[in-house]
Amino acid sequence: MMEHSKQSQYGPNEKKDAGSGDGGVLNGHFEGMVKRPGGGRTGAPQASDAESGSHHTAASVMESWREERTRSVEDNEMSLPALAAAYGTILRGLGEDPQRQGLLKTPWRAATAMQFFTKGYQEKIIDVLNDAIFDEDHDEMVIVKDIDMFSMCEHHLVPIFGRVHIGYLPNKRVLGLSKLARIVEIYSRRLQVQERLTKQIAVAITEALQPAGVGVVIEATHMCMVMRGVQKMNSKTVTSTMLGVFREDPKTRDEFLTLIRS
Amino acid sequence: MEYHHASKMNVAANGKIVTKYLDVCSESKHSDSCREEKGSKDSEDAARLSCIEKSYSTILTELGEDTDREGLLRTPLRAAKAMQFLTKGYQETTQAILNDAIFDENHDEMVIVKDIDLFSLCEHHLVPFFGKVHIAYLPNKKVVGLSKLARIVEIYSRRLQVQERLSKQIATAISEALEPAGVAVVIEAVHMCMVMRGVQKMNSKTVTSVMLGAFQEDPKTREEFLALTRK
Repeated sequence: MMEHSKQSQYGPNEKKDAGSGDGGVLNGHFEGMVKRPGGGRTGAPQASDAESGSHHTAASVMESWREERTRSVEDNEMSLPALAAAYGTILRGLGEDPQRQGLLKTPWRAATAMQFFTKGYQEKIIDVLNDAIFDEDHDEMVIVKDIDMFSMCEHHLVPIFGRVHIGYLPNKRVLGLSKLARIVEIYSRRLQVQERLTKQIAVAITEALQPAGVGVVIEATHMCMVMRGVQKMNSKTVTSTMLGVFREDPKTRDEFLTLIRS
Repeated sequence: MEYHHASKMNVAANGKIVTKYLDVCSESKHSDSCREEKGSKDSEDAARLSCIEKSYSTILTELGEDTDREGLLRTPLRAAKAMQFLTKGYQETTQAILNDAIFDENHDEMVIVKDIDLFSLCEHHLVPFFGKVHIAYLPNKKVVGLSKLARIVEIYSRRLQVQERLSKQIATAISEALEPAGVAVVIEAVHMCMVMRGVQKMNSKTVTSVMLGAFQEDPKTREEFLALTRK
């Protein structure tokens, strides 16, 4: 299989055994999926699984979401002192005076802020969807666009922000619209790479609904490129994942891209 | 008309400024004592970087991430270097960067440099805020190289800051360097700590301004500046 930023999103105490037959996990979603042996776009899960989704039993769909939550609210409380101490050390290392008035509670604030920016680790798709999947005899494109997205670059720990556009072609099942935005929130509030984020959103929708196709486009600004490094103020990064009919039928893809542009 | 001393304000409100190495090295770059100082500075820098790097490693672990995964392997070092870059203003002084680019010029009309991109870090949450700065001054026989205004912005913005203090530091630095008839600084910025977390208001902007000298006393001067910098 194509090794495409394979990583596990598990904490040190919950290392999952990635030695199973079908080539490991990608945020726990790929346990039931068969990889396309190369060709086409990079490493995306193949379309036929989505289309034959109606053959999946509800049980196997649930199983593929059986990712462990790596963090809980109690974990947050327990980690806070260590996080605050680390931030205090960072302040001193930068040559600042942590005792001055403006910085006195900064380690705690920064620690809480960082926990908020990574709260996606505390959430599971299945909880967020809240059974908001409805049987509807609708097979036209549904698009939710301009969803504001905020994430953290996993390489520099600096914000990424932009917009997500999602489109899908239902296959008798539609999703509550805000749940698309909630799926974006779960995956974006993590240490991320934009390519992986795009794919995770697309795969989550595919697994939840088994639609005829899903398209996700993200356009974002990376502070790591703007505030430091090359320092290009106006640069934007665009990534997209097209699954199912969106990948196979150019006209469908075109319709999606036109509608999100307007 | 009172000018605060920028340097006093820096030490009191914005932490230490590592100027002693700059002072020593400005005498002669070839003296032995200077080389020794530089050597110890390098090793101290390396020690600090290592310290910050370890802290970031701890942070990643405490957030529940797997620090052995490929994408995070060198993240503590990258994040430490990024943070050092974002706070490099602590190592710089106005005097050093002005580089004697102050010229005698018989000009007493308003000089404005606007839309200077600004990037800083909120000192309360360690999250970026960014925006634009507009600077104007009324020269009093001395003008400054235009890019130096932007460099002054860089010195003070690349620190852990509060937008109000940042505006005042920029204005004061220019006042002290040029002794002009007046200085005006307006900053309009977006604070990620308000946008990405907390109240989560996407479109909010914060505007602060400092008016010194003629800009403070004469409303028409101020009005001219604001009109010229309005979009």
